Amino acid sequence: MSGFLNVAGVHKSYGAHHVLKGIDLDVGQGETFAIIGPNGAGKTTLFRVMTGEVAFEKGTITYDGRDVTRTSAYERVRLGMGRTFQVARIFPDVTVEENIVVTIEARGRAARDGTAPWYRVKPSGSLVDEAHGYLSDLGLLAKKDVEAKFLSHGDKKRLELGIALAGRPRILMLDEPTAGMSPMDRSATIELIRDLRARKNMTVVMTEHDMDVIFGLATRILVMHHGETIAVGTIEEVSNNPVVREVYLGEEMYGAEG
Amino acid sequence: MNSAKIIALIVSAATFVTLPYWANQGIMFLAGLVLIEAIFALSWNLLFGFTGLASFGHAAFFAIGAYLTGYALRAALGVPFLLLILASGVLGAAAAVVVGVVLLRRTTGIHLAIFTLALAEVLRIIIGYSTALGREDGLASIPRPSLELGFMTISLNSGTSYYWFLCVAFALVAWLMWVVCHGAFGRILVSIRQDPERASFVGVNVPAYRLTAFTISGGVAAVSGALYAPWAQIVTPESAHWIHSTQPMLASLLGGAHSFFGPIIGTVLFSLINYLTRNLVGLSELVIGVTLLVIVLAAPSGVAGLFKALRTSYATKPGAGAQREAS
Repeated sequence: MSGFLNVAGVHKSYGAHHVLKGIDLDVGQGETFAIIGPNGAGKTTLFRVMTGEVAFEKGTITYDGRDVTRTSAYERVRLGMGRTFQVARIFPDVTVEENIVVTIEARGRAARDGTAPWYRVKPSGSLVDEAHGYLSDLGLLAKKDVEAKFLSHGDKKRLELGIALAGRPRILMLDEPTAGMSPMDRSATIELIRDLRARKNMTVVMTEHDMDVIFGLATRILVMHHGETIAVGTIEEVSNNPVVREVYLGEEMYGAEG
Repeated sequence: MNSAKIIALIVSAATFVTLPYWANQGIMFLAGLVLIEAIFALSWNLLFGFTGLASFGHAAFFAIGAYLTGYALRAALGVPFLLLILASGVLGAAAAVVVGVVLLRRTTGIHLAIFTLALAEVLRIIIGYSTALGREDGLASIPRPSLELGFMTISLNSGTSYYWFLCVAFALVAWLMWVVCHGAFGRILVSIRQDPERASFVGVNVPAYRLTAFTISGGVAAVSGALYAPWAQIVTPESAHWIHSTQPMLASLLGGAHSFFGPIIGTVLFSLINYLTRNLVGLSELVIGVTLLVIVLAAPSGVAGLFKALRTSYATKPGAGAQREAS
């Protein structure tokens, strides 16, 4: 219960379909916590529960010592939860730079710090500088004037990461950060997340299918199956767990034994 | 803003301001209507083009402003005209808050469109039954007011003076709307239009922004109604009719909903088409219908989008030509 983000006894059903059957997890500050499991295990639902996107029947979510079970998504963002989506969600009709600028402005307006009054047609120089900072971190500065919808898939994913960062998150929630990426983009993204997490002192929670990404980033792993936790621990602990080997790596093991 | 836009702006402003010197009374009256309807269209497009909400009953807000101002001027209550315009805006905004709180909580897309359409029709029918508001005949012979500025009083009794007043009022409201649409607030509205869920995940309280946009839009629509009453000098339930609600939609689609100036361009074009085909009964509808069809099929972002596309292709042409020569 001492963790930074804590999920306790969460149940969630879609109609008669019981998707989450009492999930508990505890993410410590500075950790990179990965949630894995076969398709349909309930990873994404758990993710949406943590970010405040969907309501759930039972259980509590605590973030930074505060009960956020009934806190709406945008308020959780204001408390420092940034997130990305499985399929990158960006603002397609505006430029790459404006994607970041509007995010910084939204943060400023939410905090009522006077940096983005309603009538400020041209964003202040310091705000634009901050936006350029994120873009150069992500290697997107050269594309700042491109309309975001024209970006490649990998660049869209990176821009979305930039949008999340511009909210100055304390915990970054990444839903399959490398989904659909080329192997080259994937290893670049691993490097990028590793670097950002260290420099910005962020806690990371992610779902991921790709084992290279998990081995490259995660400090702890939670394995889900049919809406239940079957194992949680470090990479070594989890990969030596017999239940995990059976349900998650079952086919491979079966093949090896047969 | 680029130089072409600034030149177009100066030329249009000069055309409208000098109009009483070279055009007849009839055309001046139509030009005044264009200014009023353009404000109305701007108010609608703040919702549609910038926030991504479609109201199909916006004429209700226009009628609220028109009837309040028309009634007060006829009753000669002695309320200063500027205060009357302000009161109309406040009443329109208040109505929008009530409607918005109820509707925006649950509905955005097609449901919002149908609900607003239905509410506007209800208002029109209520006005039709209200004796105080002249039932189906409306309020006729509304007097034109004087403008009390404290240090001086300007009579707006003549058509020309009220026309110039309309020019000034239009410039002020359009400038204010431009700032609303292009400032930090407007940028957040545009992000909501593009992806409300993403917007909420950058910490935007989407329902609150939508309600604010709805309120501003209702208030400005009522202001356009308030400007209308003394200009037409008659207000009828037709001003709340759903056909009137379609005017800003058609103007915005024709002119370009994602451009600030689109609804203004659209309003001017519609009036031109109407004027040029005024002697050919039924032809104006046909021309407008065909124009809309062409716009939707060939230029989905309207006339403003067409200008932008032309400019872009013109700008890239020299480079393309050089490449051809090189190869």
